[in-house]
Amino acid sequence: MKDKLLGLLPYLCILVLIPGVIAGGVLLFPDRSYAWIALSVAILSFLPLVVRFEQKRRAVQELVVLAVLSALSALSRVMFVWIPSIKPSAAVIIIVAIYLGKEAGFIVGSMTALISNFYFGQGLWTPFQMISWGLVGFLAGILANPLRRHMVLLLIYGFVAGFVYSMVMDLWSVLWMDNALNLSRYFSTVLLSMTVTVKYAISNVIFLIPSWFLGRILGRLQTKYGLFPKKKKACPGN
Amino acid sequence: MEILHIEHLNFTYPGVETPTLRDLSFSVEEGEFIVICGASGCGKTTLLRLLKRELAPHGTLSGEILFAGTPLQQLDDRTAAREVGFVLQNPEHQIATDKVWHELSFGLENLGLPTEVIRRRVAEMASFFGIQEWFRKDTASLSGGQKQMLNLASVMAAQPSVLLLDEPTSQLDPIAAADFIATLRKLNRELGLTILLVEHRLEEVFPIADRVMVMDQGQITLFSPPDKIGRGLAHLPAEHPLLAGLPSAVRIFQALGREDDCPLTVRDGRQFLKQNYSNRIDSLEIPPYRHSEKVALEVREAWFRYRKELPDVVRGASLKVYEGEIFCILGGNGTGKTTLLNLIAGLSKPYRGNIFIRGKKSTDYGGNSLYRKNLALLPQDPQTLFIQETLREDLEELCRLAKFPRSEWEARILRVTQLLGISHKLSSHPYDLSGGEQQKAAIAKMLLLEPKILLMDEPTKGIDAGAKTALAQILQALKKEGITLLIVTHDVEFAAEYADRCALFFDGELLSSDPPSLFFTGNNFYTTAANRISRGIYQNAVTCGDVVRLCRENGVKEAQNEG
Amino acid sequence: MEDQELTLPAPSAGFAFASFHPAALLCYFLGVLLIAMFSLNPGIALISALGGLLFSASLQRPGVFWGSIGYLLPLSLLIAAVNPLFNYNGATPLFHLNGKPYTLESLLYGVLIAVTLIAVFCWFRCYSLILTEDKFLFLFGRILPQISLILTAALRFIPLFQKQYQKVRAAQKGMGIYSAKRFSDRFRAEIRVFSSILVWSLEHAIQTADSMKARGYGSGKRGHFGIFHFTLRDGLLIGMTVLLVAISLVAMGVGALDISFFPAIQPAPPSFLSVISYFCYSFLCFTPFVYEIKEKLKWKFFISSI
Repeated sequence: MKDKLLGLLPYLCILVLIPGVIAGGVLLFPDRSYAWIALSVAILSFLPLVVRFEQKRRAVQELVVLAVLSALSALSRVMFVWIPSIKPSAAVIIIVAIYLGKEAGFIVGSMTALISNFYFGQGLWTPFQMISWGLVGFLAGILANPLRRHMVLLLIYGFVAGFVYSMVMDLWSVLWMDNALNLSRYFSTVLLSMTVTVKYAISNVIFLIPSWFLGRILGRLQTKYGLFPKKKKACPGN
Repeated sequence: MEILHIEHLNFTYPGVETPTLRDLSFSVEEGEFIVICGASGCGKTTLLRLLKRELAPHGTLSGEILFAGTPLQQLDDRTAAREVGFVLQNPEHQIATDKVWHELSFGLENLGLPTEVIRRRVAEMASFFGIQEWFRKDTASLSGGQKQMLNLASVMAAQPSVLLLDEPTSQLDPIAAADFIATLRKLNRELGLTILLVEHRLEEVFPIADRVMVMDQGQITLFSPPDKIGRGLAHLPAEHPLLAGLPSAVRIFQALGREDDCPLTVRDGRQFLKQNYSNRIDSLEIPPYRHSEKVALEVREAWFRYRKELPDVVRGASLKVYEGEIFCILGGNGTGKTTLLNLIAGLSKPYRGNIFIRGKKSTDYGGNSLYRKNLALLPQDPQTLFIQETLREDLEELCRLAKFPRSEWEARILRVTQLLGISHKLSSHPYDLSGGEQQKAAIAKMLLLEPKILLMDEPTKGIDAGAKTALAQILQALKKEGITLLIVTHDVEFAAEYADRCALFFDGELLSSDPPSLFFTGNNFYTTAANRISRGIYQNAVTCGDVVRLCRENGVKEAQNEG
Repeated sequence: MEDQELTLPAPSAGFAFASFHPAALLCYFLGVLLIAMFSLNPGIALISALGGLLFSASLQRPGVFWGSIGYLLPLSLLIAAVNPLFNYNGATPLFHLNGKPYTLESLLYGVLIAVTLIAVFCWFRCYSLILTEDKFLFLFGRILPQISLILTAALRFIPLFQKQYQKVRAAQKGMGIYSAKRFSDRFRAEIRVFSSILVWSLEHAIQTADSMKARGYGSGKRGHFGIFHFTLRDGLLIGMTVLLVAISLVAMGVGALDISFFPAIQPAPPSFLSVISYFCYSFLCFTPFVYEIKEKLKWKFFISSI
């Protein structure tokens, strides 16, 4: 019964909650209505993914492995701190996603954002980072096959993914400031952060080059412990 | 009441032909303290895991395991999880959460207990195990001993009626290990808890066990009270790996081939010697130790601290190690032994004083020349060295990094792996090797760099008696090749047996560099069990072998009047 | 530079306001931020900025606080000053730039945005210091058990992996691998260390999972320990927050707090509701600061009387 209700939750989210929240916000905050709409749509479309992850009972080994990968991906931000604005996290998230699947990518992505912000300080950026890194992982998982087969595609994906977070964040802040898409402000904000963003995108590419090596290490999880099976099968163990 | 009953238990791992366990039948009474020992690979861990349903390995199983009369498989999930507690070997990796209080409550939350009950039990456990002071701390901030105590407490919170432990003290230093064993004893005596303990360090646990199970090749060879074990093993040759792990008193007793009840503790051992052997000849003739004249490495008045505002860890330590020696630095945990080793290895620099490696100041070695055909440091944890999928790839990678010509790789790799006896493991994943094999693989990596001096940090940590003996043989072989060995350890027994010279590291300084026979007879507390057993009876007996030799030379006393 | 470490902010136990139940605290911060971020009213912005500044000043050492202000203030001034460059609306041009008017209204609008940014920044800073990760886990442990498990295990792993990181680096250095100072060498060395930790941690993760299973994880519905207890004053904080936020929302909904900037600045006429909601929101924003100071004085008094 409860599971059934939980199963309905994504639809409930889309059909009732999103319009309701949007309408309420627009009425209450007419001067920031676009920012409100964008934020609530982002969060509410993120929630079903979270709920879907929770719904499925997972082998405890898989949960621990996801914790390990999230921790490592957060930690990698510190390991390479000696090269300014170069962070391997996104590369790690993409690699996890293409080898262990879209849900693993999604969770490792959003957890990396949440965890590293516990250390570096939470802010308004936290939900955006969680959502965009989670989606970068999720999408990479969906595109796993082509990405794994063609290195070039993987590098392009990594490069593009490097822009997602800062473009989204900039877009939102412009919406919030003007309650309209003020293009001149948007472009100058994007330009202002361009050097950092490009460096970041390039670092994704660099860190994706040794991906086959990390993938081989992750592959051992599938061969030796039977975790994250490729085809849809019942979870082993547990 | 019988709490565990095992009948005709057979177990075979998938893809393996020989069964790991063969026809085991035994039962355990409620409140018994049982120690299970045996060489590595004898199936003791498999047996223990089969008794814990959640951790039972996959494979073919026949026979029956009854828990309090009910087949283990028929218990419901909650009861199975609650009634049998399991503590694993590694203190670090058992901890699941980031806060001490959360770790204590973790198992209780899993069992779905109401909040009130959880709170009371957590409070009880924290008080019983002395955890109150660190209750709100991060688990990462605890010492190894504290971590393992926390693991025990969090298992005990569920109030199991049987506690299974798989080598829980192997990663702990001697003091923390003794503490842990004392707590087990308290649980057994004060709460009547049934305990099954797999252990290879038996000195402390033997005397408190009710029965000892000795396993060999998947079978039980002996299962009897500890004082009958010595007699039961009388037929084994002296170099059998099983014997090396027994308490010193038992080893001496066994080697002398006695037929009566064997002594278990140092106190009983002394009694036994006094009663049965005279001390006409009270000391061994040991030829004076001669070292080479060439100094391999020298530490001259080194001072070191980690940060300006912190106290000194090394204060004016001086040390000379001669070529071809096996030199052991002993000392308690956290005294800075590893720091000293890092200074010698050039990983940190002393702020005062100098270090000379083969006559040259270590700071004068440029680039990585200090580490090429010169000096190598074997880290405490061999797993910090492996990166590749197979041992061969790992060694090949090192050959590439050391810039050996491609044509020589195969020969070099074969040479070191054959020397260490792991050439048949070249295609295994390094993590699939046993603890002893991992260490050999790590030494192999070091030897590829052709060091003249090999520094080792706690090489005996976490390996069983058999692997220790194998390690000692390797050390002898390296010594024969002219390699100087500097070993940092808190394993007194190992140093006594195999070192050429020992020194004690205390308060940032090195005290009394002497051959073991002199070094240990000078100490009262910080010495081997064999030395403590024979103190005041024999002058310079340090190892079990020494005591046995002296006993044999003296011969058995005539039956005494009061006897 | 060599030994970067991740450390969590010090536990919030020292702060008086942190002694409230996590649920009450989360409710409070969400309420304050909701109004601060989505209203466009100079009064509300000033109140929240002032409240946030005072509160974060009371939680941090003066050096840290002024340090963050020193970086925040020029940034917000810049935002205010450049706003007219993107927004040419407004009836009062101050001067012309490249043929475009630089208007007073747009400048003031920029100031409002800057003040709001300061407020949001300060309140998030306080949120980080007060609602630490253990409270966060407590809040979401029940609703999202699997994700919380991942989170708590990850927080436990980070210090463990950092220690391993140091060990692996030392071990690799002890073999003299990549000890050159070249960039590419260092980069490859870090990748090696990273993959070593990856292999090691995945291998040992299985042990952690074993220990969780051995303690009955997955044997059914989970209970909850709860080191935090909900008491009357937590209920009061929630009640107060909900009430005060609701009043402000009503005022916003009926337009009592509206203000239009363009073409000319035209606030809604002051009304009973707008005054009440300024008052309510001030009460909401200054509560933690007052509470913090009150408790500090109490301790001073206690100590001097001992």
